Amino acid sequence: MRRALAIAAKDVRERIRDRSAIVVGIIAPLGLAAIFSFVFNPIQSFSFSATYAVVNQDGGPASTVFVDQVLGAMEASGAVDVVATGSVDEARRLVEEGADPFGSGEGVDGAFVFPAGFSDLVQSAQPAGFEVIINDGNGAGANVAVAMARSYASQLDSVRLAVATAEHLGDTTDRLEAGARAAAMPQPVDLVDVPAAVKQLGDTTFYAAGLAIFFLFFTVQFGVNGLLEERNNGTLSRLLVAPITRPTILVGKMLTAFLLGMVSMILLAIATTLMFGAEWGNPIGVLILIVAGVVSAMGIMAVVAGFARTAEQAGTFAGIIGVVLGFLGGTFFPIAQAGGLLATLRFLTPHAWFMQGLGDLAGGNLADIVPSVVALLLFGLVTGSVAMVRFRKGLQP
Amino acid sequence: MKVLVIAATNLRRFLRDRSNIFFVFVFPILLILVLGASFGGTVVPRLGVLSHDSGELAVDLTQRLDASSDIRITTFDDRPAMVRAVERGELEAGLVIPAGFDATIRAGDIADLEFVESTGDAAMRTTVESIVTQQATVLRAAHYATSEGVAGFADGLTTAVALEPHIPEVAVTVSTSGETFALARLGQFDSSAQTQLLLFMFLTSATASAALIQTRRYGVAHRMISTPTTARTVLVGEGLGRYAVALVQGTFIMAGTWLLFGVDWGDPVGAVAVLVVFALVGSGAAMLMGALFHNDQQASGLGVLLGLGLAALGGCMVPLQVFKWISPGLYRVAHITPHAWAMEAFDHMVLDNAGLVGILPYLAILLGYAVVLYGVASWRLRRVLTH
Repeated sequence: MRRALAIAAKDVRERIRDRSAIVVGIIAPLGLAAIFSFVFNPIQSFSFSATYAVVNQDGGPASTVFVDQVLGAMEASGAVDVVATGSVDEARRLVEEGADPFGSGEGVDGAFVFPAGFSDLVQSAQPAGFEVIINDGNGAGANVAVAMARSYASQLDSVRLAVATAEHLGDTTDRLEAGARAAAMPQPVDLVDVPAAVKQLGDTTFYAAGLAIFFLFFTVQFGVNGLLEERNNGTLSRLLVAPITRPTILVGKMLTAFLLGMVSMILLAIATTLMFGAEWGNPIGVLILIVAGVVSAMGIMAVVAGFARTAEQAGTFAGIIGVVLGFLGGTFFPIAQAGGLLATLRFLTPHAWFMQGLGDLAGGNLADIVPSVVALLLFGLVTGSVAMVRFRKGLQP
Repeated sequence: MKVLVIAATNLRRFLRDRSNIFFVFVFPILLILVLGASFGGTVVPRLGVLSHDSGELAVDLTQRLDASSDIRITTFDDRPAMVRAVERGELEAGLVIPAGFDATIRAGDIADLEFVESTGDAAMRTTVESIVTQQATVLRAAHYATSEGVAGFADGLTTAVALEPHIPEVAVTVSTSGETFALARLGQFDSSAQTQLLLFMFLTSATASAALIQTRRYGVAHRMISTPTTARTVLVGEGLGRYAVALVQGTFIMAGTWLLFGVDWGDPVGAVAVLVVFALVGSGAAMLMGALFHNDQQASGLGVLLGLGLAALGGCMVPLQVFKWISPGLYRVAHITPHAWAMEAFDHMVLDNAGLVGILPYLAILLGYAVVLYGVASWRLRRVLTH
């Protein structure tokens, strides 16, 4: 074991000296995590807020209820600001202004226009309508404006139908009063919010973890490919004639891969937490997942090295396999949300299990990561055994 | 002449590497296919529906939800499965129709629908609410007639259903002011093809700068200069080699996605102009990196960092339009990257039907990047090679 440690120590020292392991294991993933969190953080922390203009040429009850109660409720919650505007042209100008990122900031996300006589038409069961002005560049604010308008229109429809039905059946209440009473009737169907746990990673954490596991496969390569390099350099024969058993050499190389992988993953987890506020979750769970993840990466990359003839060839295949598994495993974009075949195929990659494990850890407890850990270890065990068989054959002088 | 030989040697060296063939030709096309197929076009939020009631009103509600083009529904038989899908973000929300939904409403009571969500998607809730409200219109009329004491619930419902078609709906006119949002008009694969074209041209150039470092480190460059070949010839030849790599890949992706997925690249002359100029930017960056870095593993690691990082910043992962909505500051920062200017050029061609003339300002800016990159790189390389 001491000899294996000596081999590993020499390899690790060499990798640190030529800086390649530091670039691949730390700088590249950390740099990308920095850029991604800069780009995606504003998106993640984006919370809905909008400013709407109202042109009320009607002033009757049907428009006032919308402005005071519907918009008023959202205004009270702080999500919406309302500006009363005199003319339709002015409202149009404000909407256009609101879609311009270089604009003055006094623009709005949408405008509601109630024409004169709107309330009278609504009460008389005549065709009636109002207008919403939006710009698609206003984004969510525009969509919400349209949805609010449609929802209010169907409420008015509902009141109109209620009053007409009662009238038809002989009710003689004054229409204005009947309307108010019908509007106050509770909805026969109520939507009750049931909050569910969030078992998915926030954007910052998603990218930090995704990049870490993606680059891990390249970092462990530095250890796994060691045998091939020793053979190319002619140092393998020297190792073999030395009083060291073959398994010791193998263990030494694997130890290098394990050390580099663990150090890179742990440093990345700590650095992204401190620098970008990533939330990896329960440290014990994270550590277990990292160990399992490193084992799976070592196994898969060892198979690649086992079947390659030269270190260069191993690098070529490892690049392809690492990138394909990484993308399919959803480290760059949440492939689970794509649905369909891809969402299922992703479980053929250790990356997907690692990400799923972290997601389950975020919304649950330690027991929830068991399936992911088992899957990752199985990946490592199966591929690792294949690799060992290949290596044993390859370990001839 | 020598320049072309050096360039051709570089290109051949690049294409001989099998992993390059994969990353340059196969992988980008696969990725465009995957991204376009799963995320292309308009994204419709997904709602899970779990119904414990097979009554007429419950079935009607499910049908109304299904008919809405604003959401996509998936039906579930199992509550834990639906909740899990919501928790993992595979659904935006889930709706539970309780047992006895039909009977509760008919009895004049209020039925509760459970709305399961984890992310607080305001748009989804508003949509579901408006569909529920629509269905509730006749039910509410019947309730009102009952409460006024003029009829029973059943009579009220019959009358309301009979009257409903005769009362015109309150109309909501939606009008648009100013230019419309870009992504809505893009084809399914258009956006992913444009972004991946830029991402990969730059990424390949950046990582391929390793080859230039090998040329330097193995002493090939010095040996070339010791022959009657000027440093300028070597520099131009190496630059041309990098440029050929970027151009070959760009042409392949552009032509390939046009033929395979029918991607709309806008005005052909303009599109080719963006390709030609952006290849200059990419190869310029490769030359600069080749001049600055010390070993090829460093160059490929940092190449990936720069290639993906600038692409993310430049709107190749999240559309520039989204930057515009959420943070004008981010939108401005994005324009530090050449990617953002190339994206603007594509947007103008595809969405506003601009031609070569319309995108000239963007081409000029991209050309500026190329001039600066090549300038600094050749100044630096000349020093490295002649000393």
